[in-house]
Amino acid sequence: MKNYDKLLNDLAPQKFGKAGVIWTSSLIVIIIIGLIAYIDQIRKGLVVTNLNDYALWGIYISNFVFFVATSFVASVTVAVLRLTNNSWRTPIVRIAEIIAVACIIMAGLTIMIDMGRPDRLLNLFIYGRMQSPIIWDVIIIPTFMIISLLLLYFPLLPDLAILKTHFKEKNPTLSKWYGRLSLNWTGNPKQTKIQLKSIKIVALLILITGIILQTIDAWLFSTLFRVGWDSTNMGAYFVSGAAVAGLGALVTVVYVLRRAYKLENYITNIHFDKLGKFLALACLVYLYFNINEYLIPEFTSKKEEISHLNLLIDGQFAPLFWLVIIGGLIIPTIILLFKKGRTPFSIFVVGLLVVIGSWWKRYLIVTPTLLHPFLPIQGVPKSWQHYFPSWHEWIITIATLAMALLIITILVRFLPIIPIEKTANEQELLNKNTNS
Amino acid sequence: MKNQLSIIRTSFLVLLSVFMVTMSFAQKVKKNKVRLSVSYTKIMDGELYFDIKATSKIKNKNTFIPNLDLTIYNVLNDEEIKIGKITTNMDGKGRLVLPKLDSIHADSTNTYTILVKFKGNASFKKAKKSINFKNANIKASIIKKDSINFIQATLIETSLNMPLSEATLNVQVQRLFKSLKIGKDFYTTDENGTILVSIPTDIPGIDGILTFEVVLADSDNYGTVKAMVTAPLGTQIVQDNDFYKREMWSPRDKTPLFLLIFPNLLTFAVWGIIIYLILNLIKLSKLNN
Repeated sequence: MKNYDKLLNDLAPQKFGKAGVIWTSSLIVIIIIGLIAYIDQIRKGLVVTNLNDYALWGIYISNFVFFVATSFVASVTVAVLRLTNNSWRTPIVRIAEIIAVACIIMAGLTIMIDMGRPDRLLNLFIYGRMQSPIIWDVIIIPTFMIISLLLLYFPLLPDLAILKTHFKEKNPTLSKWYGRLSLNWTGNPKQTKIQLKSIKIVALLILITGIILQTIDAWLFSTLFRVGWDSTNMGAYFVSGAAVAGLGALVTVVYVLRRAYKLENYITNIHFDKLGKFLALACLVYLYFNINEYLIPEFTSKKEEISHLNLLIDGQFAPLFWLVIIGGLIIPTIILLFKKGRTPFSIFVVGLLVVIGSWWKRYLIVTPTLLHPFLPIQGVPKSWQHYFPSWHEWIITIATLAMALLIITILVRFLPIIPIEKTANEQELLNKNTNS
Repeated sequence: MKNQLSIIRTSFLVLLSVFMVTMSFAQKVKKNKVRLSVSYTKIMDGELYFDIKATSKIKNKNTFIPNLDLTIYNVLNDEEIKIGKITTNMDGKGRLVLPKLDSIHADSTNTYTILVKFKGNASFKKAKKSINFKNANIKASIIKKDSINFIQATLIETSLNMPLSEATLNVQVQRLFKSLKIGKDFYTTDENGTILVSIPTDIPGIDGILTFEVVLADSDNYGTVKAMVTAPLGTQIVQDNDFYKREMWSPRDKTPLFLLIFPNLLTFAVWGIIIYLILNLIKLSKLNN
């Protein structure tokens, strides 16, 4: 039997401190305010939003695309690092799995918020056509949600069994729950064999479904004959963008948890350095697809494409566009290319820039195209030529972001952030190697 | 004192009269003038109708007047015989349809007079408009000469049973939105009141059937007279109808097969693995010894 005492002392879930209580309460208050705004939206209809016949997708869909993109974190970190046998992944994979679960749940909820009549959701299944990417999206989101949960759950089993014993005397109720969730895990060879095999399968599955999810999300746009969306680049563009958003969210959360739970011995500067390089690579790939997305239409100079690009480059959306491209992509890449830029704090700042940039990037993908219809704007209210979210939209969107953070907070409160059993095994192996 | 009261009463009455007169004058000033226009159309072997249009110049802009009640009379020797009533639609237009020309009467010169009257209302002054026309017929038929098909049409004034020469007729074929003219813009009738127009062989029609129209348009004396001939002289339209095919834009029961097979195959494969993984969880819970 291994000695988990030190590890459990450091890694076992802990009660919230003062800061944790304030943080959680603040999130709950924001969610309640958002819920009130949403009930008002249900009562009065989408008229409380600034959505109109042109900007029929606004901040809700931008937010949905952001959540879907961020949920890709599990595919890039857990699956890619596992399949490429990167052993440094151990202390960060669970955080990535937790973020993925929170984001995909919120993606599912956000798409329902965008519906004027959520009670008609069932109609999507009754009357949906397999030709429509919307139906593919309806299928893939719950599928990805289940796979994300399985990816979180399988590696957790040994830790849940350890926590059952750990909390037996301290907190019997919690211990009982850990016991139930651990599925009578004893760590015998038969169980270990099945568990390891399942983890391998689910890792491969989340990589495939992750790419499918991002591609379907891209096809929701690119299958529409609209300027700015009608692009064969869109699938790869979305996958690479999702890697950036996911890794950006991961480094930010990892930094915060490392500080909050004093995990400096487990999540070291080396981890940040590696994550920084990984994020830099993702940013460079995404930058490449951005160049493809904007430079080719600029060259071919189709009339509609040019007026759309003008809107982004030096028009109404130019400040936001350049802020996203320079602040959210180019500057982070430059910082990350230097070793000094990959220290924990600078990576945290870069992560924040990337996440904020990623959120607004989705807004820039959704909104300007909608405000630029092929048919000339004639005989319609002038206000339809512009879109800026209403207070209802802002409050509800902020509440969904708060809800994602609350899910992460709750999971972090009750689950070990760093895999205890795996860390113990690695330490044992390290000690053996050192002794020999 | 009595005098003072009388002066006050008189002044009040004068002021009241002035006010009333001004009021009624002001109301009169507000009324707009209605312009009526009437046109007469006769379809050979069919109905005849009068198209009436009501406009008014409001704020220097010609505006169509909707919901105007108009009465139509057949005037015969100064006698006005009511033949119908219409109300203009949102475009300021209305149509009175008569089944036969026999339902109205011509005067001794074989001229028909139709009078349209508007009684006036709170917004518009009363108005009237009359038109005169004589009866004319077009006899149209398809003839074949040297294996070329022609439309032959003769314009006749019915009262005198005389052909009308030097009249201009349009020859056209009916299309979905607007008739398509055949050959020249118009044809002039010869001394026999006849025209002869060759029919092109490449006009498409449903099942090859075409409806030709010979029209005397907006004649000062005879109004509009239209004769129609239907003949299978067009080229067959081969309908490229993909309604029953499986296409990307078809309803759900006509989904293309590849879109039924691959996404479903992928979905079932992924869910099959998910079920396998869930079964593994159940298996794990039973392997605790």
